Order: sequence, then structure tokens, then C-alpha cells
Amino acid sequence: MSASVPAVSLRGITKVFGAVRANNDISLDIHAGRIKALLGENGAGKSTLMSILAGHYLPDSGEILIDGRPRSLRTTKDAIRAGIGMVYQHFMLVEAMTVAENVFLGQEPGFFLSPRAMREQVRTLAQGFGLDIDPAARVADLSMGEKQRVEILKLLQRKSRILIFDEPTAVLTPQEAEQLFAALRSMAAQGKAIVYISHKLGEVMALADEIAILRRGEVVDELPAAEVHSQSDLARRMVGREVLLEVRREPMELRQNVLRLQDVRTETLKDVCLSLRQGEVLAVVGVAGNGQKDLVEVVCGLKEPKKGEISVLGKTWQAFFSAPAWQGGLSYIPEDRMGLAVCRGMDLVDNFLLTTRQGYSSSVWLQRDKARTVAQELVRQFKVQPPDVTCQARQLSGGNLQKLVLAREFHRRPRLIVAEQPTQGLDVSAIEEVWTTLLAAREEAGILLVTGDLSEALALADRIAVMYGGAIVDTFPTGDRERVDRIGQMMAGMRPDADH
Amino acid sequence: MLQISTVRRQEPLGWGSCLVFFAALALAFTVSGVLLVMQDKPPFTALWLLVYSAFGSSYALEDCLIKAVPIFLCSLGVGLTFRLQIWNIGAEGQFALGAIGATWAALTFPGWPWYTLLPTMLLCASLTGSLWGAIPAVLRLKLRANEIIVTLMLNYVGILVLDYLVYGIWKDPGSFGFPMTSEFVPAAVVARIGDTRLNWGLALCLAVGVLMSVFLRSTRLGYELRACGENVRAARYARMPYAKLVILVMAVSGALAGWAGFLEASATLGRLQPSIMSGYGYTAIVVAWLANLNPFVIAVSSFLLAGLRVGMESLQLDLQIPAAFGAIMEGLILLAVLAGGFFSRYQLHLRRTR
Repeated sequence: MSASVPAVSLRGITKVFGAVRANNDISLDIHAGRIKALLGENGAGKSTLMSILAGHYLPDSGEILIDGRPRSLRTTKDAIRAGIGMVYQHFMLVEAMTVAENVFLGQEPGFFLSPRAMREQVRTLAQGFGLDIDPAARVADLSMGEKQRVEILKLLQRKSRILIFDEPTAVLTPQEAEQLFAALRSMAAQGKAIVYISHKLGEVMALADEIAILRRGEVVDELPAAEVHSQSDLARRMVGREVLLEVRREPMELRQNVLRLQDVRTETLKDVCLSLRQGEVLAVVGVAGNGQKDLVEVVCGLKEPKKGEISVLGKTWQAFFSAPAWQGGLSYIPEDRMGLAVCRGMDLVDNFLLTTRQGYSSSVWLQRDKARTVAQELVRQFKVQPPDVTCQARQLSGGNLQKLVLAREFHRRPRLIVAEQPTQGLDVSAIEEVWTTLLAAREEAGILLVTGDLSEALALADRIAVMYGGAIVDTFPTGDRERVDRIGQMMAGMRPDADH
Repeated sequence: MLQISTVRRQEPLGWGSCLVFFAALALAFTVSGVLLVMQDKPPFTALWLLVYSAFGSSYALEDCLIKAVPIFLCSLGVGLTFRLQIWNIGAEGQFALGAIGATWAALTFPGWPWYTLLPTMLLCASLTGSLWGAIPAVLRLKLRANEIIVTLMLNYVGILVLDYLVYGIWKDPGSFGFPMTSEFVPAAVVARIGDTRLNWGLALCLAVGVLMSVFLRSTRLGYELRACGENVRAARYARMPYAKLVILVMAVSGALAGWAGFLEASATLGRLQPSIMSGYGYTAIVVAWLANLNPFVIAVSSFLLAGLRVGMESLQLDLQIPAAFGAIMEGLILLAVLAGGFFSRYQLHLRRTR
């Protein structure tokens, strides 16, 4: 194994989408025979980086060296030719065909095919890497783990030398994950370079030789796995503690309760209890995928809880969400603002009306002129650029779009706000404005802030709840320095009272 | 090496899109000309004849307007469903059912005066047409059946029902065996405007067109419809009544096509017969897309494609060009204009690379 020349070397990769720097001057070396873990929150830039490597995007600047020689990866074909292969979260298989046929799809050995020879070849290949599979089975009949093995075999059959796995265990059972880890180690031992994208700390610690941590589009840490002492160490490095900006947070008088969850259960939530009062910010932090999504959906009425009591603004969950129209009171600021919170092809007035239309219409007519005046005023007040309500939502940058959504939601004078990753993908100045706006909204509302960014939680929250495995591990005031220091441990699933 | 990349336009292309539109028309006519040459027909004479015989005399213009009425009504309906991203291609069947509904009323109450009979016919046509439109909507919502397939299939069913009636129980005993109903009583025929050949259906079109654009622009439901069509997920986030809207637009679309069937049976033919089915429901789809679903532009493009039909009749007579050539031109125009739409949304960037 040539440790001297990396199999892949990324040099100063930068990729900008609109106003967002998805990747900012990223340099990474990936060596043959080693497993490199790429760790980071959603939106940290992992997927963009790997899409560049797989030939989906061209970087705006920077270069890619394969075996020490610069290569331009313009298309996925270029990447395959360079020996790069990717196993996606969503499998790309022909369900009606057999395993062997899928493996050879697009790389058939000739015009006439010998099914038996193909099956034998796949069997040999699979055994060589410890991948247990029946080459004659129909893909439609396979489990998720087996389908993933077919995807891996496709790459191995192409003699790919650099294998990228995008959160491969998301769809696997624990046993299947163990089998996958064994196969990954076997591949590395046979000289393949493995890139392993994940935000699961345990896996990364167990598997990786080296760990690179991405945050807000930059590599913030890169270290051998041996140097990581514990999962909490890793969690701390991942979410960061450096103060990005400071906002003034005056204490508010806490008033009536706006949200209470008692022993709430869904498929992922485990007996979640929390309460929130007007004038308060409660931050729910945790590594992504530990039940935050379900929590938000339950609180916003998009998913029915299986068990437990919920009171929203003094009403039961059923009573609150069976009201015919959304009578205000609750505002949801979703993580997916482009896909959920706006209609990109409509102008700002129409987008303003999306959730405020009850206030600007009789039973039949829409009072668009009145809405336009108000929207115009809000756009000015929240400094949305461009300050023109006739432009389409798609023309706005991520930060301005978020300001528009905030302006709209606050205009409804909600008493409960659910803000999900409200500053993800925004630049520093936009983050500051969003934070200030959220703090100002405490005047009338209680805010449930779901975030993967600890500095955000520390800047905004009065109390912090840490989620792990669908449960709330601990809830404590932001002023409790001792417990704040142990957030990393809690995010990795350790009990708050355990000795560290 | 010259590399071409496409970039989405940030600013909508204003008057430039008119230019793109006419360039697309020119392309469609050029290709049509080439096809004419391949059939040994004089292309310039033919295309000139096409335009002149469609729009060159007041008689021809009247013809265009008469044909534009059913196309417009069907197109307004399918355009409404397209806005919600529901692909109703069943205007043809809904048209047939509307004609059947109107005919039923005309044959059942022949003694009624026109001011009760005509509204009854219109009502029956709306009911049958909207029923034919609502079936695919309900199937889509309840069983996730693809509405494209269902509406298309219901076209055949609708046309066969019409055939069954005119070949069977509704056949005029005095028709010498021809498949047609007996002639409607005068009270069941929509009157003509003054001494033109145009009927009052044209006024109905105007009213419906204005109502439709007012609905889309100024009502809350119209707004919700536009938002649902733009982004279904955002519409759910904002708690909009998506299912209700799907059924509503399909029923309205069916009713409008049904009105077209009523006007054709009553004003144009004066009876129900199989020749009432002349493909207006399919032309309506072309018209809706040419017009980018805008009600006023739908009116204009209905008129233009009606002109194509009128002009084709002359080409058939004078140059023995087959009638199917009209359908070919219709298709070419649609393809060219849709392809041109790409240039309204994207910019081409040329880049020289190593």
C-alpha cells in the first residue's frame, strides 16, 4: 500500500450555490487501504463534496488529484472511469432482475450473455469480500441489506478503487450493519479506499481509520481515529462550541404554558415529556436522526402520536388540529424552507398569503391589495432583498427567503413557534438577523428551537433538552455550565448522571 | 472544445418570449412546408392558402369563431386542471357526455319553451360532464389511480355510450338507418346572434372566460388552487384543501367540456350524431399548453387553432391534402412552442474549454 500518494486528493474545493457556500476551500486526502469517515450535521456539506467526487457537480474552484495526477470529473462517467464508485442511500437497482443481472447492468461482457458465467463471477466476487448473497435471487425479493450488497458488488465488478458510502446504515438492521462493517474492513484490507459518510458517532469510532469533521462547509477537524477518546469528544468536535456571534438575550417574564408533552410515543419517540411557556426558548439539541423530526411533526400536527398527552395552547392535540382552519397561534418554521414553506414560482405577496390568507379574505374573495400593502411593509421591516414584493420566491437567496418566512409567521402573532434548524445554510449576517428576530418573538410566544448547532442553542435558549434515541436525555437551564459541558456525552447517549 | 451549459433564468423573459413564440411558429411552418414538398405539393401556395382561407374573409372568420367556441370551453377546463398539476386529457369524453346530457333533456321535454328547455339542457350537460370528470378525480384520491390513464380510457367509454344511444334507443325512425337522433325542436336550439351564423354560445364563452380569470386572480379558492399547483407540499403545510380542489377542478373541467358538447349538439348540428366527435377535446390540450394556461391567451389560441381546422378544409378541397395533415401541423406547432418554452426559462452559456 502506497501511503505516500493518496488515492484521491481534494485540493481547495469550493462550491457555491446562490449565496450559500456548500463547500469552502476543502482539502482532503483519501488513502488506499483505509477507511475515512466524513462526519457532519445535515447541511454541513458532506453530500455536496461527495457529489463533486462522483462527477455530479463541478467545483467552482479547486482540483481533484487521482493517484497524484489532476483529473477533471465532468460527468459521472468520468468518475467511474477514475475508479470512483458511490453507494447511495436510495438504491438504483432493477427490481425485476436478478442480482447477477443487476451487477452486470451497463457493463455486460458482450452481446450474448451467459447467465451461469455471470452468476459464478458474482458469487466469486461476493465471497472474496465476505458479502453474503445469492446471485440468482430476484432483487425485488431481497432485504434492504442484501440490496445494498448488490450495489456494492456493482462497484466491485467495475473495479472501483475508491468507494463512497452515503449513510449506509440508515436503512439497515443492527445485524446487517455489523455484516456491512465486516465487508468494509475486508475491502479496505484488499486495498480499496473507503469514504464513509455518517453522523452516527458510534459507527464512525468503531470503523474509521481517519475522521474528517465538516461544519458549515468547511473541514473543521481532521484526525486519526485513534486520537478520539470518546464519543462525547467527537460530538463536541462535531457541533462546535466556538461562539460564532453573540446576541443580546434579555431575560423575559415567563407567562402561561403553550406546549406540554407527557409521555409521548411514536415509532421513534420514547416517552417524551417537555413543557414550554410564553417568553421562553427551549432548544432541542442532538445528533440528527434521534427523533427530532418526529417531535416536530407531532407538535405541528403533521403526525399523530401513538400514546401520551399533548396540550397545544391549552387545547388537546386532537382539538387543536381538528379545527377546520389553521386559526393561528402556532407557527412552524420548517427546515426545508424551499420545499415546504414557500411556493418558489409565486411572488412574495402570494407567498405571504400562504399561511395568512385567513386574515386577508372573506369566505370568497381574496383581499390581495390589502395583503400587498402589508407584505410590502414587512419586506421593508425585515430587510428582505430584493425589497420588491412582485419578484418570485425563487429569486431570493436562502437567508432572504428565511427572513420572508419569519416575517410572515411572526405577522400571524403566534404564541407557539416551532423553529427547525432556522439558520442552516445561512451566512453569518443572516444568522444574526434570524437570531435577533427569534429572540424578539419571545415577547408573545414560546419557542421550540430544534437545532443541530450547539452555538445556536447556547445563544438563544433559556433551557436545553438533549435528545438521543428518541428520548429526551436531560433538560437543564442554559446557565448550568456543568451540564452544558456534558452535552456531548448526552448526545452520544450517556446518562447525564453518569460519571465522566 | 466549445461547451454548452444551461442556466436557469433569474428574471422572467419579458417580450423575448413573444419572439421565441413566433420563432417556434416559424419552425413549425417550415417543417410543415418540408413535409408538403415531400408529398409533391407546392408548400408556399399551400401555406398561403391555409392562412388565407382561414382568416381571409368574413365568412371564414365566422367559421373560425364557431369552431373556436367548443375548443375554448374544453381548453379552459383542462387548463384549470393542469394548473393543479392534474392531467385531465378526458375533455373528449366529457364533451360526449355533455352532448348526451343535453340531448336527453331536448328529447325528453320537447314541449317546453326555450327559456326553460335551454337552461335545463345546459344543466344536464353540466351534470353529466362533471360526473365524467369527477370519476377520475375520486379514483385518484381514493385508489391513487393515475388520472391520465383513467381520463383517457373514459374518453373511449364516453364515445361508445354516445354511439350506443344514437345507433340504438335514440335513433330517429325516419333517418333511413343513419345513426342520429331526430332533429331537436326549435326551442332546443341555441339561437344565432343577429343575422350572423354565430350563436349565443360565444357570449357564454366570454362570460365564462372572464369569470375564470376573476376566480383565479381574486378569490381565495382560486389562490389556493394556484398555490397547490405550484407546490403541493407547501399547500399541505399551509393546510389547503387539496382533495377538495382536485374534485372541484375535475368537475368544473368536465362541466365546461359538457357545455361545449351541448352547444355543438344544439347549435351546430341540431341533433346528436357520431360526427359530433371531431377531436375538440384533444385540440383543447394543445391550446391550453400553447396559452400557458392563461384564460385570455387560451381564447386567442383557440381561435388560431380553429383557423387551422378551417384552413385545412380548403387544403383538402383545393390541393387534395389529407385532413390528417391538420393534426400533424397541430402537433408540430405544439412541440415547437413547448420546446421554445425551454428558452424562456433557461439561458444557454457557451464556454470555451481546453
